[in-house]
Amino acid sequence: MIRRGLAEIVAEGAADRVTTRRWRRTGLSAPEQQASSVITFVASISVSLLGVGAWIVGVTELRPSGIGLYGLLASDDLWFVLGFALLAAGFLVELRASARNWVLGLQLVAIIVAIHASVPIIFRAPEYAWVYKHLGIISAFSTYGHITDPTNIYQQWPALFAGVAAISSLAHVSALSFAAWAPLAFELADALLLIAIFRLITRERRVTWLAIFLYEGLVSWVGQDYLSPQAFSYLLWLAMVLILLRWLRGTPAVTGGRLARVRAPLVAGLPPAEQTTKIMRAVAVALLAVTYFAIVAAHQLTPYLALAGVAALAALDLVRPRWLLALMAAIAFGYLAPHYGLISQDFGGLFSGGTPIQNASGAHGTYHPGAEATTALIVRVVAAAMWLGAVAALAMRRKALGRVIVPAALAFSPFVVLFVQSYGGEAIYRVFLFSAPWCALLISSALLELRFPRRLPIRWPLTACVCIAVLFGGLQGLYGPVRVDAFTPNEVAASQWLYAHAARGSLIVLPVDNFPALEAADYNDFDLEVMPSDPQEGVAWLDEGDIPAVKQWLTSLGHETGYIVISRSMAASAGYFGAPKGYHQLAGSIPASLGGSVVYRNTDATIYRVSLD
Amino acid sequence: MLTAYAGILASVLAAALLLAAPWNAATLAGALLLACVPAGAAVMCWIDSGEGAAQAGLTLAISISVLAILSAIMVWTSVWEPRALLALAAVSLVSCSVRLRNEVPR
Repeated sequence: MIRRGLAEIVAEGAADRVTTRRWRRTGLSAPEQQASSVITFVASISVSLLGVGAWIVGVTELRPSGIGLYGLLASDDLWFVLGFALLAAGFLVELRASARNWVLGLQLVAIIVAIHASVPIIFRAPEYAWVYKHLGIISAFSTYGHITDPTNIYQQWPALFAGVAAISSLAHVSALSFAAWAPLAFELADALLLIAIFRLITRERRVTWLAIFLYEGLVSWVGQDYLSPQAFSYLLWLAMVLILLRWLRGTPAVTGGRLARVRAPLVAGLPPAEQTTKIMRAVAVALLAVTYFAIVAAHQLTPYLALAGVAALAALDLVRPRWLLALMAAIAFGYLAPHYGLISQDFGGLFSGGTPIQNASGAHGTYHPGAEATTALIVRVVAAAMWLGAVAALAMRRKALGRVIVPAALAFSPFVVLFVQSYGGEAIYRVFLFSAPWCALLISSALLELRFPRRLPIRWPLTACVCIAVLFGGLQGLYGPVRVDAFTPNEVAASQWLYAHAARGSLIVLPVDNFPALEAADYNDFDLEVMPSDPQEGVAWLDEGDIPAVKQWLTSLGHETGYIVISRSMAASAGYFGAPKGYHQLAGSIPASLGGSVVYRNTDATIYRVSLD
Repeated sequence: MLTAYAGILASVLAAALLLAAPWNAATLAGALLLACVPAGAAVMCWIDSGEGAAQAGLTLAISISVLAILSAIMVWTSVWEPRALLALAAVSLVSCSVRLRNEVPR
């Protein structure tokens, strides 16, 4: 019952009709069709199992030391790449043939596991330096049970951190032990919700599964699924969309005022909303409010991306009750008001200014020729292709826009954020993430409905090419910088030793801001300083190869002694980004020129104590 | 119905693992189960979304929302008692059981 209603917005039955026509053309009898179906089933399962096997061989053979600056896909291990190619092939064979839900579901789970379990298996520690900052907040809540640093923006938006701290406390295990698996967990959960949403929007199961596949490839590079408030909030936003489309969708008025007349061509072809009861609507509003409050209390930006999405649907008169947007705005701004000082301090206020182009320029990379520039180019092509593909899909539907208006509104509403915020250079990544599912749905619908002359059977070759390009483009974005982004247990052990043994108030100096620091509960008892030498951090006046200048800067920090950390991932970062300048010279001269003595050393990290008198 | 059974099973298993399991891996499994199922199941067992994925997805999303909000309230009020979250399992058990009883024709 639910699947009807909104179900005709996007393509319905297109690929099924294609399959039926193919059978009819080939003139196969029913038993022959059944035999053919069994053969394709065996083929798709076999190819997928081979893919899983190849991936397992690849991932067990890969070692952090054997990974170069171009990442996992460019490593010597062909099994790893072959595994992904076979997994994609198995999925596509099944999608083209019978498209059984349970087979496609299992294949998709295998692909998601392969994408997001590789790094935790190879490195055995959480990826990304900023995850360790999150672990520090979780550790602080778990240890002290209250806000320990009111000036820390993370602590003032505590929902995710407090939730993970509660899990950690209940289980008596450190969040560090399971944080590495957060991307896998979030992606599986996101996929589950997206399946439910896409099934509300389209009745055609091939469109749904293809859209999920494309989505997983598209978003893999953007790296927003690690243990973080945004990954948590994004998951809840998908739940909100599901609630909205299932119980709170209205039928827009197309006669009457001027607005209705403007709206009419946009909603032409939109199926009527599902019948639902008043009580169920009230329950849905309550669930939506609870979910939205969890988002608001967890993350600074997501509430406004969600607000933009609901506003876009409300502008099309697709949301009931009409005051829902006002309720959401009241929750968002009600929470923001007492915390506005921190937003103002960290992001220049709610409206940080800047043109949309400036705000869309992303983080300040160095575009170092070689690995960084190549990987950056690949992900830009993936992102541009996604939005262009979505626009092309909309153009295909221009005569019945109502059939695609819901995904279109959700795909392009996040761009509103770029008119008001750069979010420290990260806004464009969030816009991409929030846009991706709906673009994937529009593209997959268009791909499976493209009409070609009968003698030109290129629908599936084209679909396969798009899938492979998206998957490997996204994977290069994810795995390309892995030598920089991922840490080894040795590096984590060095950090833990430092926080356990350095006296409170000690100065800790990082020549490169790429080390698993701040993961301790008492992180704010230490003075952690990053050398002002990396253009990616904004301030970069120091040449680390200029030892007297480094010495002068260290002395200016006002401590008698300090700890300088040198690590594998810092060296990898300096090689990948070509910054900071002089890092390798500094790393080699700490003992001689700065008088540093080694207090801790393992194969991946060295900690020096330096006298700064 | 399935949501109600899942809620009961998850609540009992989560509580048992958290209260009695001797290994950290098992208590972690219990804590994750408590975070991901009971609160959502307590609500979703009364709602038929008509679609398995929607039912499971909303159960998960509501559960982690409730857990996060309750945990944040503990942090804000400086009353840090994570074990109190076991009440979620109890509430779910009651809600899902009542739902199942209402299904039985008398």
